[in-house]
Amino acid sequence: MEKASNESQVADFVRAARQAKSSFEIVSGGTRRAVGRPMGNLPLLDVSGLSGIVKYEPEELIVTARPATPLAEIAGVLAEKNQRLGFDPADWSQLLGSNGVATLGGAASADASGSGRLRHGGARDSLLAFSAVNGLGENFRGGAKVVKNVTGFDLPKLVCGAYGTLCVLTEMTFRVYPKPQFTATLCLSDVTPETGFAALRKIAHSALEPAGLAYLPASMMPDVGQGAALIKLEGAAKPLEEKLAMLHGLLGSVAGRIDSDPFGAIGSGRQFADLPGDVWRVMIAPSDAPRIAKELYVRHWLGDWAGGLIWLAAPPSDAARIRGIAASAKGQAMLLRGSAESRAAYGLYAPQLKPLADLGRAVKAAFDPLSLFNPGRLA
Amino acid sequence: MLLPPTDSKIVARRAEIVDALRAIVPDGVVADESGLATFDADALSAYHQTPLVCVLPSTREQVSDILKFAHSQGVPIVPRGAGTSLSGGALPREDGILIGMGRMKRILEIDYENACVVVEPGVTNLNITKAVEANGFYYAPDPSSQVACTIGGNVAENSGGLHCLKYGLTTNNLLGVTIVLPGGEIVTLGGKSGAQGGLDLLGLVTGSEGLLGVVVEVVVKILRKAPVTRTLMASFDTVSAAGACVAAVIADGVVPAAMEFMDGRAAEAIESYNQPGYPKGAEAILIIDADGVEADVAHAISRVTDIVAQCGGKTVEATDEKQRTRIWSGRKAAFAAMGKLAPDMICMDGTIPRHALPYVLDEMAKLSDKYQLGFCNVFHAGDGNLHPLIIFDIMKPGEFERAEKFGADILRLCVRVGGVLSGEHGVGVEKRDLMTDMFTTVELEQQGRVKCAFDSKGLFNPGKVFPTLSACVEQGHIHVHGAQLPQPHLPRY
Repeated sequence: MEKASNESQVADFVRAARQAKSSFEIVSGGTRRAVGRPMGNLPLLDVSGLSGIVKYEPEELIVTARPATPLAEIAGVLAEKNQRLGFDPADWSQLLGSNGVATLGGAASADASGSGRLRHGGARDSLLAFSAVNGLGENFRGGAKVVKNVTGFDLPKLVCGAYGTLCVLTEMTFRVYPKPQFTATLCLSDVTPETGFAALRKIAHSALEPAGLAYLPASMMPDVGQGAALIKLEGAAKPLEEKLAMLHGLLGSVAGRIDSDPFGAIGSGRQFADLPGDVWRVMIAPSDAPRIAKELYVRHWLGDWAGGLIWLAAPPSDAARIRGIAASAKGQAMLLRGSAESRAAYGLYAPQLKPLADLGRAVKAAFDPLSLFNPGRLA
Repeated sequence: MLLPPTDSKIVARRAEIVDALRAIVPDGVVADESGLATFDADALSAYHQTPLVCVLPSTREQVSDILKFAHSQGVPIVPRGAGTSLSGGALPREDGILIGMGRMKRILEIDYENACVVVEPGVTNLNITKAVEANGFYYAPDPSSQVACTIGGNVAENSGGLHCLKYGLTTNNLLGVTIVLPGGEIVTLGGKSGAQGGLDLLGLVTGSEGLLGVVVEVVVKILRKAPVTRTLMASFDTVSAAGACVAAVIADGVVPAAMEFMDGRAAEAIESYNQPGYPKGAEAILIIDADGVEADVAHAISRVTDIVAQCGGKTVEATDEKQRTRIWSGRKAAFAAMGKLAPDMICMDGTIPRHALPYVLDEMAKLSDKYQLGFCNVFHAGDGNLHPLIIFDIMKPGEFERAEKFGADILRLCVRVGGVLSGEHGVGVEKRDLMTDMFTTVELEQQGRVKCAFDSKGLFNPGKVFPTLSACVEQGHIHVHGAQLPQPHLPRY
């Protein structure tokens, strides 16, 4: 394992790897190494030294940090100015059985958003600019450190969710958002998936700006009858009261307030950490959620993002079936946690068809022609 | 501004190309001189070029066939929506097929269950909102040209508008697009789930200015209209006080739905144009919208009112919907109103970090002296997106050239303070040659290789966005040749 702690060390390493035509795996906190198609025993580039906040400009609504900055560190610094990251970065370490530290770069590279994605979108919607080293060993920047920019191609979108297959990130600038003073979590108990998801969609499409909308069946939450619709609202004191009143008007029934905030566990997949089998995230059109949940026919599942995301645990033998159901709904089934065999057989996503697959490969080659970075991980 | 040299061999084959297109779209080929004159420019009207031919497909299959033909014959393609680009993105080529998407204007599906609308590219931005507003929804991005501009063009340009700070640009409001690639293949990126199962090519294609393909279908998110919207007008004795106020509002944690700045000269011209009731004698005016639930809006309005007072300004609130509309109609007519000041104007579009606003305003005033041309400022202050309007008279020798130089200097100034050349209008031909001021050669080559991944023959909108003609050559992998220097034969903007 080699360590690179600044941009020029990264570039040196990449140029040497290029010379030797030797692919490598990029590692920082290491919490997400078990996600994606296994790459075999490749040399490692440890970039955990590329850590720390470079510049935080609360009045510009931006923060610039190196990618290995721990999520907890950045959340703490932003909270001091009553701000937060927009994409609700999710820490999957417990689900994936890792003792590592979840980082900013890892969360963005894995497009890992929790329940709060509803509110301000994913990492792609918040990453304004980055610096990186491409597969030619060149330093380059994408985007710009301002909140509104259309100059040139929108490369920050591409690096989010690319799982480190395009470049080695060395610096990232995110848009930040004001952090609401208060939150309220409510629970609508004993509702079927049909009723529960319908209520959640109604809220999603209201002016309430919810920060979490999930449905949990009885198997995932005790004492809720058939299942529970969970709702998280936020705001300053008075607006929050107003939103709660509006919510009850909207639902026509009273959702009970609960003291705990289950959304942290939902967004990070912790509810599935101790369950056996593979863990999937299936992204679908929200209105398909009740039907897809039924078709999936597994005991352990839940629906986040008002139904747009179904989490589930299933035996490895279910993999092809799950992919088929997702495809029938024009969705995507992502194998988040699986044995090396499952991941080798099924990859992170279903294989893309031509011509899309060719296009993806060509874009990858535009950054990393020799496929030095995390080869095959996203394939 | 010249585009890459015309390929006279293609021009010589014009009749044959027109015939081939007629075979694909029998009723949609414009080849006569007067018909083509309609298409010879977009809203960057200083630049004209009659296209080789214009074709108006009605189906994605026709688009695909047109592109297959062009690809096989090596004929350049320029995609066009409604032709409202302010950066020359749809400027035709003498040797290129202009593909106008205006006929594909059906709303295919309104899906309230998933709060999205599926449309063809020629649907206007405003018509999406009109189709859903009876049910309390709207499509958030609202470029000032929304009556005319189409969603396909919005995708190409990643269009913004007045409400970007809170609601994002086009890219943040899309769930999917279907595009036809330069080789004619049809691919769908995303969809109602928003998920792509691989690289975020949807994000890449959005804002790619017609360099990567032709959009034939779009899935947009729609939002519930906020229950309450209130509008404040704040007036200031100095431009820098208004600039400081903008920064203070954002720093306070208020995210206004819109925060527009105009200087006294712009406000005066607008006032005499359509009488929106702007305060007289102010050196700068801010128009601020707060929307959301009532208590949120009340909180925002009270914070903004306090901050304006601290910055030495005065506020007036619109008392009813009629007055709100009037205030905004003035802002939206800003460009038209500039006709009161001078016969011609060009509109710039840089974004800067908000803290640099007072400095940039001062520097622009100095540039105005240097070039002996007037200007005024209308811009989206909340997100730092400047639209300085340079006014001149094209009939006076040298004024247009000076105006262009003035504009280029403003954009360089934006880049120098850490900003960008374009916040929402796109690079097009207008800012193409300034790209080297913002990006290194390595960065331009990197973007050039991305372009090649889609368009290996370089046929799509050549001469736009990038200051160099990059040739893509397959040599085991894709790379770019000769991208080091801007084309020496092309005059600089």
